[in-house]
Amino acid sequence: MAARLQEGSNVFVSRLLPRDNWFVSGHRACQGCGEALAVRMIHQVLGRNTMVASATGCMEIISSSYPDTAWSIPWIHVAFENAAAVASGVETGLRMLMQKGKIPSRRITVVGMAGDGGTADIGLQALSGALERGHDMIYVCYDNEAYMNTGIQRSSSTPYGASTTTSPAGRQSIGQQTWKKNLPMIAAAHGVPYVATVNPSYPMDLVRKVERARSIRGPKYLHVYACCPTGWRLAPELAVAIGRLAVQTGVFPMYEIVDGVLRMTVQPEKLRPLKDYLKPQGRFRHLDDDTIARMEQRLHQEYQKLLRREGLQL
Amino acid sequence: MTESQSREVTFKVDGRSLRGRQGESLLEALRRYGYQVPSLCHHEAVSPYGACRLCLVEVQKGKRRKLTTSCNYPLMEGIEVFLDTEQVVSNRRVVLQLLLAQAPAAERVRQLAAEYGVNDTPFEVEDPENRCINCGLCARVCKEVVGVEAIGFSGRGAGKRMVAPYDETAEDCIGCGACVFVCPTDCIGMSETGGIRTIERWHRKLPLKTCSVCGRHFAPTFQLNKFAEWTGLPRGHFDKCPDCR
Repeated sequence: MAARLQEGSNVFVSRLLPRDNWFVSGHRACQGCGEALAVRMIHQVLGRNTMVASATGCMEIISSSYPDTAWSIPWIHVAFENAAAVASGVETGLRMLMQKGKIPSRRITVVGMAGDGGTADIGLQALSGALERGHDMIYVCYDNEAYMNTGIQRSSSTPYGASTTTSPAGRQSIGQQTWKKNLPMIAAAHGVPYVATVNPSYPMDLVRKVERARSIRGPKYLHVYACCPTGWRLAPELAVAIGRLAVQTGVFPMYEIVDGVLRMTVQPEKLRPLKDYLKPQGRFRHLDDDTIARMEQRLHQEYQKLLRREGLQL
Repeated sequence: MTESQSREVTFKVDGRSLRGRQGESLLEALRRYGYQVPSLCHHEAVSPYGACRLCLVEVQKGKRRKLTTSCNYPLMEGIEVFLDTEQVVSNRRVVLQLLLAQAPAAERVRQLAAEYGVNDTPFEVEDPENRCINCGLCARVCKEVVGVEAIGFSGRGAGKRMVAPYDETAEDCIGCGACVFVCPTDCIGMSETGGIRTIERWHRKLPLKTCSVCGRHFAPTFQLNKFAEWTGLPRGHFDKCPDCR
C-alpha cells in the first residue's frame, strides 16, 4: 500500500480504509482533541492483532478511568518513564512464547505510546534503549507540546514563545524561552529503519505511514502532531484546521526517514506566513511582530535545512 | 435481509466455538476474531470474488468436509472450520506457485510465497515483468464504491485482461485513485506532475484544478465537475481547495 496513497486522492479511498475501531467512543477526551483522533486512526490501521503499552498522560487518564476502558485490544498502563521498556518486554515475551510453541505463531504489532513529556523528558532513556536494542515495535509519541493532563506545564517539546503555566507570558517573559526539542531526529540518530512525522489532519498520509511502519521489522518511531485545544487556548472546531496550518506554515514538516534516507511526504508549494498559525492560538497571543519575525526566520532556516537533506543518507 | 436483521449463528474454528452472523463472509468473520488468513483479491467494502484462491480453509458441514475459499463462503450454523491443515497449506503453496508464474514482478506475491517457503515456480512464466494477478478488485471498487465503472475485463480464458474500454483512454475515469490504492500488487500507477494527474494503466491524463485562493493544485477538474453534477452543488463550490473552503 506504501507509495500508492496520495493526499489528493482522499474522496473514495477513505471508504476503503479499515472501519473497525479498537479505541472506541465514550472516552473522556476534551472537545477537539487531536490526540484522541490520532490514536483512533492509528489503531484503525494497526487492527486487532496489536498490543499497547501506554505511559501516564492524557491518553491513560481519558481512556481508562475505572471501571471503564476505551480499549478493545490488550492495553497496559505503565509508569511515566517506561512505555518503551515495557513495549520491548512485551515484544520479547511474545517472541519467546511463540518460539517455545506456547502460543500460536502470529504477527502481533507491539506499540509503545506516550505523550511528549513521557517521551522527550521522562521516558527518553527508556526509548533510546529500546531503539538501540532493535526490538520489533512501534513507538508513538503524541506531541501536544506540554504536560496537558496535569495542567499545561512546559515540556522540552513546548515551542518557543508559548505561554504555559510554568512558563507564563508577562512583562518579564515571553513564555517558553527555549526552542522545541527535535525528537524525530533524535530517534533517527539511533539508525532505526523507520522514523516519520504524522499528522491526523492529513489522514491519508497517516494511514500510509502507519501501514509502512507496521510492515517494517525492527524499531519504528512515529512522531504525532496532537493538537490540544484546551492547552493551546484554541477553539475546538479549529483542531483539524490548525494541523493543516502547521504543515502549510512549516511548523510541523511532514517527512519520513526510511533506512536513514529522508523524504518529504507532504510539501506545500509555498510556505504560508507563520502568523496564520499563531493567531488562532491563545498561548501565542502575547507575541509581538518582532518576535514572530525572529521565530519565522529560524523556522525557515530549519525548514530549508530539512529540504537540503532530502534524499540524502542522514 | 440487512446485516442487523440477520440471525446469529455458532460455528467452530479449530475446535474453538465462535459466533457470527448468518450469511456473512467466513473470511471476514475469521479476521474479526484475529485469525490471519492470507488473501489478495478480497476487500470488505466490495463483494467477494474468489479470484486469488489464497484464503483457502477446510469446512466441515455435516458429514461432508471440503476445501473452499473463505472469502465467498457464507457463514452458517454449525459449520466447523479448519485453518492451516496439511491440505490447506499444500494447496496454498500450489496457488502461490501459479501466482508467481502469472505475476513474477509483484512484490506482495513474492513476499507471501516466501512466507510459505515458495521461492520458485515449476510453471511457465509468460511475462517476467507482469504484476497483475487478474483479481478484478480495481473494477469492483470502481463499480461498487465509486459508482463509475470506468474499467473492466476484456477477453476470456488465458487472454483475460483488466483494461480500460478497448485498451484506450478510460473516458469515464474521474482519477480518484481508489483502484490505485486498493490494488494488492501495485500494478496501476498514478503520478502528479505539472498540474496533471496521470493514471498510467488506464491511459488517463487529467488536468488538476488550482484553488482560487491559495493557487494550489488540488483535484482533477473532470472529477470536480462530476461531483458538482452528482451533488447538485453550484460549480463555484469547488473553486476553492478544502483548506480554503
